[in-house]
Amino acid sequence: MNTLFEYLPILLPVILIQLILMVTALVHVLRHPNYRFGNKVVWIVIVVFIQIIGPIIYFAFGRGEDE
Amino acid sequence: MRAYAAFTKKEFTEFTRTYKLLILGLVFLLFGIMSPLAAKYMPEIISQFMPAGMEIEVSAPTALDSWMQFFKNISQLGLFVAVILFGGIMSSEYSRGTLIHMLTKGLPRRTVVLAKFTAASLLWTGAYLLCFGAAYGYTWFYWRSDANMSGLSVAIAATWLFGIFLLAITILGSVLCRNSYGCLLFTGIAVVLQFLLNMLPKIKEFNPLELITEGTPLLQGQIETGLFLKPTIIACVGTLLCVTLSCIIFNKKKL
Repeated sequence: MNTLFEYLPILLPVILIQLILMVTALVHVLRHPNYRFGNKVVWIVIVVFIQIIGPIIYFAFGRGEDE
Repeated sequence: MRAYAAFTKKEFTEFTRTYKLLILGLVFLLFGIMSPLAAKYMPEIISQFMPAGMEIEVSAPTALDSWMQFFKNISQLGLFVAVILFGGIMSSEYSRGTLIHMLTKGLPRRTVVLAKFTAASLLWTGAYLLCFGAAYGYTWFYWRSDANMSGLSVAIAATWLFGIFLLAITILGSVLCRNSYGCLLFTGIAVVLQFLLNMLPKIKEFNPLELITEGTPLLQGQIETGLFLKPTIIACVGTLLCVTLSCIIFNKKKL
């Protein structure tokens, strides 16, 4: 556990970027219920559990048009 | 010229609204930070996961390892992400029919292609600079004067040029195909073709792929800078050819 705290300041920017990506995608998934394919649950799982690539896939392929 | 500037600006608005700007920026920043970190802490991570009593010799990481990680990440994942994001640059316009209004009002078709290519290139350049800046900062922090290696600027420029070349291929693909998957397939085939051509020694020295694969050997001092000359010329000619072809094909395309 100690090693984790030792490296926390170094890892902080990396974790921060992942969190920003995840939260932006998650907010978008929740607020725009139209997707090109898949449903809300599927996209939430993808965005939250697949690091970095998940939000990219959502914004590139899953995001529906704004009505 | 005014139409061109306006359309380029419109592309950037679209990048912001479709989150492309945000994603590309953050992902490239992440790669920039991760590369030196991965190089620095890899020996410690390996030793943590080794079973007790087992010893392997791991040499201390250097600035070279950091740049090797950087070029590996950018040339594999970085370009992959960029192509995925730019794959739909034309197809979204086809499917929504948003180009028809502007083209019937007299916007030249080549302006559309050129403005899209410019916007994509600018975004790639910006993201790449961000990535390089972060990697350079961290490498400097850990290894100080070693960060600025000989041949680094050439290797950096070569990878950037390959990115531009790949974007030109993507634009050509998106003009040829109606949907973004066709465009991605076209770009994928183009890259696979380059990998296959790389096996032939005679073509290898002209292959633009050299621009991303030979960056690390250059830093290690195994090859000369002059080796990049032929691939650079081919990549520039290829870029021009792809953009010109895109303009010609787009002129004849039914929207």
